[in-house]
Parts: sequence; structure tokens; C-alpha cells
Amino acid sequence: MKTVKKIFKTALDEGRTFVLEDEAKRVMREYGIPVPPFAPAATEDEAVARANEIGYPVVLKILSKDIMHKSDAGGVKVNLNSDEEVRRAFQEIMENATQYGKEKGIDVDLSRGVIVTRFVEMGTETIVGVTKDPQFGHALMFGLGGIFVEVLKDVTFRLIPLTEIDAREMVYEIKAKKILEGIRGQPPRDIDALVEIMLTVSKMVEENPEIVEMDCNPTIVYEQGKGAVVVDARMVIESASSD
Amino acid sequence: MSGCDTSGLDVFFNAKSVAVYGASATPNSVGQAIIQNFIKPQYEGKVFGVNPKYRTVLGVDCYPTLQDIPDEVDLVIVAVPARITPRVFEDIAAKGVRAAIVISGGFSETGPRGAMLEDEIVRIGKEHGIRIIGPNCIGVVDTHTHIDTFFLPEYRCGRPKASSTANISLVSQSGAFAAAISDWTSELGIGVSKIISLGNKCDVDDDDLLCYLGNDPSTQVICFYTEGYDLGKGRTFFETARRVTQQKPVIVVKSGRSERAKEAASSHTGSLAGLDSIADAAYRQAGVIRATEFEEMFVMAKALAMQPPAKGDRVLIVTNGGGLGVMTTDALESLGLAVPHPSGELRARLEERLPSYCALGNPCDVVGDTDAGRYDVVFEEAIRSGEYDLFVVGMLLQTPSLGMEITNHIANYQKQSGLPFVVVSMGGSFTRKAGEILELMGVPTYSTGEKGALAAKALVRYGEIRYGNEFHRTVTSEKP
Repeated sequence: MKTVKKIFKTALDEGRTFVLEDEAKRVMREYGIPVPPFAPAATEDEAVARANEIGYPVVLKILSKDIMHKSDAGGVKVNLNSDEEVRRAFQEIMENATQYGKEKGIDVDLSRGVIVTRFVEMGTETIVGVTKDPQFGHALMFGLGGIFVEVLKDVTFRLIPLTEIDAREMVYEIKAKKILEGIRGQPPRDIDALVEIMLTVSKMVEENPEIVEMDCNPTIVYEQGKGAVVVDARMVIESASSD
Repeated sequence: MSGCDTSGLDVFFNAKSVAVYGASATPNSVGQAIIQNFIKPQYEGKVFGVNPKYRTVLGVDCYPTLQDIPDEVDLVIVAVPARITPRVFEDIAAKGVRAAIVISGGFSETGPRGAMLEDEIVRIGKEHGIRIIGPNCIGVVDTHTHIDTFFLPEYRCGRPKASSTANISLVSQSGAFAAAISDWTSELGIGVSKIISLGNKCDVDDDDLLCYLGNDPSTQVICFYTEGYDLGKGRTFFETARRVTQQKPVIVVKSGRSERAKEAASSHTGSLAGLDSIADAAYRQAGVIRATEFEEMFVMAKALAMQPPAKGDRVLIVTNGGGLGVMTTDALESLGLAVPHPSGELRARLEERLPSYCALGNPCDVVGDTDAGRYDVVFEEAIRSGEYDLFVVGMLLQTPSLGMEITNHIANYQKQSGLPFVVVSMGGSFTRKAGEILELMGVPTYSTGEKGALAAKALVRYGEIRYGNEFHRTVTSEKP
């Protein structure tokens, strides 16, 4: 896993504990966690080229060490279907980010441009997260996305490393589990694929304890047999592993 | 990474010779109260005082230093002001004593100055192999050896007794809770082996005692009260508990939430984790049973100490009162236990042998005019059927038809079957007496259906922990 360590080293060398989305996704791809096709693009022309390689529709998201919460800064444009839309989105994102920086009184670094990713189909939104507790160490969180996590805080935790039994218990522990089992005639969701992601994240953190926080949010789960995919990833590392 | 070190802990509970540093002739002082504990006839070892001011305290020989004591000393109890404890520890080291309980406060809990003193005694302890409990604690009560360092007079703070059937031990971070629990359990009829107050945990900590009590033959259930763990110590407790819970049940009451972790978090996950949910997850994964408060802890501990864990979640309620049956069913189901009806075959057998006006479902109501014989029929047939993993027995003794021999019958069926039994017996003094008799025979008895259900839940939960994949679960969605 040399690639992973190199990515973390690059971030730390640049004085960042915040791992950029494209970096986080490269780490996840190394571990075989499914993520939609993606590529960084520093300029408008590059963004168009990458969008054509990936295939429409695409999403553009700001890539900057100064912006952790991309939507808050107007740094996300979804469902783009043509070169023209990509160009316009790129310009708007840069303008929004500059404006956001002015409001916050920071000089936002725009040199990395954006990450271009495939705009994925809708499915059931879940969140798989990692945190490091000062008393108990690393723990993994699971819950359904959207209001389930924001308002109802319908989430469950286990210490890392997880066993498969732990992961399956977590899926059935949340109050909204029926949504995953399939309600109102909908087919059940691909729980095996979701469990696989949870176990791989657990392994990834076990092998890279410098990861102190992570949100795979949303992790979209499709119907049984159609898999699951981590659409957005936010990751924070610490400089020296304290373990 | 195993965080526990049990070396040298035995002497805290088995010391044959004890010295009280800071022995005092002043009434109601700590130094006098502790001497008083050790001159009770139950303690069979020797006791000495250390204090240059006195030749004797309450008739106990008192010496200027430990080194002046002509005998060997196994355990030193330190009750002197914090600032002179480094000198005391030099004396302990010179005498070659390997165990000390530091009652005094004024250490790390008060600030950097106290912390320096604490570091100093830890350093001396490490250098000379002295194990330390405390500081800022009330120490240890052992109901078998009568080591008792609680400086609280017995007329205010009762001491629990050991039971001949089963005992719990309790480790408490808080001294005040340790005392209150000592006092409380002295009247609760629950057997206690050891109570340990840990205080600042400068050396001996939760991990060490968890390991030690895990191997202690006089402890059947290990109970903890904790407010939190030092950095990383939650993780080592988790690792240790994972092993120990395979040997005996561990119950924890934990207060205190780590709000700091929440403030520092910049992710969703981190901000949601502040709500104590990680401790909860850790306990669950390690097979530790978490109780919300002490009453719940003792309800569960009593059942777990006296009864084997259940091999499945199917409960049969046998009762001579309909209302008690209904309430107990509600409580059991809300705790996620199964209360399945008997099969047609079992029902037919019961119908054959019982009066037609008995209600033979689950609850199985043998009704108000029953004698012990109808209970026998239900126990016999239900045990033989293999349809149930645990029995909750309602025993209302207000009706004269049910004689006191019912207690023998229940205890016999429990022993013969090896299945866990919990008895619910509501009522006044006559009922309480029957409960005491049952508990002498090892069957835990409760005053309400809700408590009985909680006890049943503990036996089922521990069965799950203990038997893992072999545990027979019928209810799939368990409420937390």
C-alpha cells in the first residue's frame, strides 16, 4: 500500500491534515472500495476533456485545501450533460469559491481546479463514517443518509476492526432498517455490497491508523445484486500515528 | 495489546499483616476508623499503627516508622497528608512492602502540584515493585478475609456479606459510590465478595482488576462503576473484557460523556460520536452488559450470579395470577425476548394433567387455587418438551392453597433441568421471607414482573455472549 502512504505524505508535506476528495478516492480505490469514475482537472479545458473520457452526465466539485464543505461554498455542480455545461459550471465554481473566500476572509487556493466524476444513478443514501475516540480509539459508524442522519441521528457504531457479524448487526440495528429491506413493493437493497464496503473501510483504517476522521457520505446502495458506491469521501489524517 | 497486570494484587485481599500509616487516637478520624476495622475479631491477621505521636492507638502497637515494626508487613494503608507521602513511600520501600492503598486526597485530582506528588509515589512504587491502589480512594472491602479499609463507621455504612451460593465483586472509580453500594448491598441480600474503590488509578486500574476478578474463584459476576477512561484505556479495557466475558459476566454502569471529542470533530461521524455511543458500542462488542443505573445493575447481577446463562431467548411464564402474567409478558417482549405459546403437543399434555379452568398458553396460568403440584406439572412437561430456554415463575403467596414447599419445588426443577429460573413474588413480609428462602437455594427472586423480566433479559444476553453462534435466537430484531 505504498500509494496510500504516498498520498498521505503529500498532504502532510503540504501542511494539510485534510485529504482532498480525489486523494481520498484514490486511497479507497487502492482498497477496492467502489467509487464512480473520477479525475482531477485544473482548468476548464481539462475539465471538458475529463468529462468526455468519463462520459456524461458528470459532476464537478471544487478541489481546494481551503474548502472542506464543498456545497457550502457553492463548489458542487451536478448532472452536467454537455461540454458547454461543464465550462459554465467550472467558471461558476471558481467564482463562487473566490466569493466564499472573500466572505470568510481567506485567500482560497484555486490552483487544483475541480474533480470531475460520473453523475451516478439515485439509490438509497447511507453514510459510512470513521472517528477516533480518545478513550476507545477508532470506531466505524453506519446510518441512512439525509434526514435520518441529520435530524434523527439514527446511526450505530462499532469499534474497528469489525467482524462481518458486527457489520451485519449494524445494518439491522438502525431504526430505518426496513428501508434497506425493501418497503412498499421495492426490492431489498444490496446489503452484501454495503457490508463489504464497511469491512473494507475497517481494514483500511486498521492498516492506516493515521486516518482520524472519515465520512463516506453518501454511500449509495442499489437494489440487491446491483452493488453500492461511495459517491463522496471526506478524510482527515493526523501527522504522527499516536498508537 | 493486553493492558492488565495482576502481579502482586492478591495481597490487597489476603494480607496477613497490615500497617496503617497515620493511625490516630482522634475519634472519627480516618486513621482511627481504619484501625477499628482491623481490630474486629473477623480479621485474623496482624495490625500495626505508624505514627510517631503514639505508642498505641486503640490498644494497637504504634511505631514511628514502618522499619521500626518488628514483624513483616504485607500491606500498608496510607492515611497521611499528600505532601508527606513521598517520604512514606521511601519508608514502604525500605521495609520491603509490596502493596499500598493510598486513601489520602490532594493528588492529581487537585492540579499540577498534586500531580507531581502522585508522579513521585508512582516512581518510587515502580522502582521498588510496590503496587498502589488510589490515591484519593477508600480502598478495599473483602468479605471473606475481612480486609476493610473503608474509613466509614459500620453503623452508618453497612458492610455486605459473602453468600454461600454466589457473589459479585464491584470496582468503583468513585469512593462515595463504593461506600453507598457497600451500605446498600448489606441489606439487599446479594452476596458480595469484594468492593474496590480505585480513585485516581495511579497504578492499579480497571484492566488489572478485570483480569484479577476474572480469575478470582469467589467472584461470579464482575461489576464496574466508571466515569471514563484515560487516553487509550477504553481500548485496553475493551480488549481485556472481550476475554473475561467468555469466563464470567461483566456489568458496567458508566456515566460521563466525552463532549470534548465532539467539539474537536470536523466530520459528520465525529460530531455524532459524542453521544456516548462509542462506549456503548465497545461494551456491546466486548460482551459487557451495560446497565443504566445501580438498581438495574443489581437486578441483573443477582440473576447472573445465581443462574446459568440461557441458551436461547424463549421464555415460559408460569404464574398463579393473570395480571402478573400479563405485565411480565409486556416487560419481556419490550426487552426483545420471545414469549412463544406451547406447541399443540405440549398443550395437549398439559390439558390432560391440569384442571380445565387453567389458562394453558404463555403465560401459563395455573390460577389462584393452585398448589405446588400444578407448577410441577408445567415444569415437568415444559422442560421435557425442550420448547423453552428460561422460566419466569410468578409465585403469589397471598392465597393459602400455595404452601411454602413451592420454594423447594422451584429450586429442584431448576437444579435438575440446568435451565435458568427467575421468580417473581410480589407482596409483604411473608412473601419476602419466601424470596429469601428461594435465594438461599440459589433462585433469584424479584418483587415485580419488570425486575424479573430484566433479570431474564440479562440471562439471555449473557447466553448470547457466551454461546455465540450456538445461541438459539428466535426474535430477529432486538430493541437496544
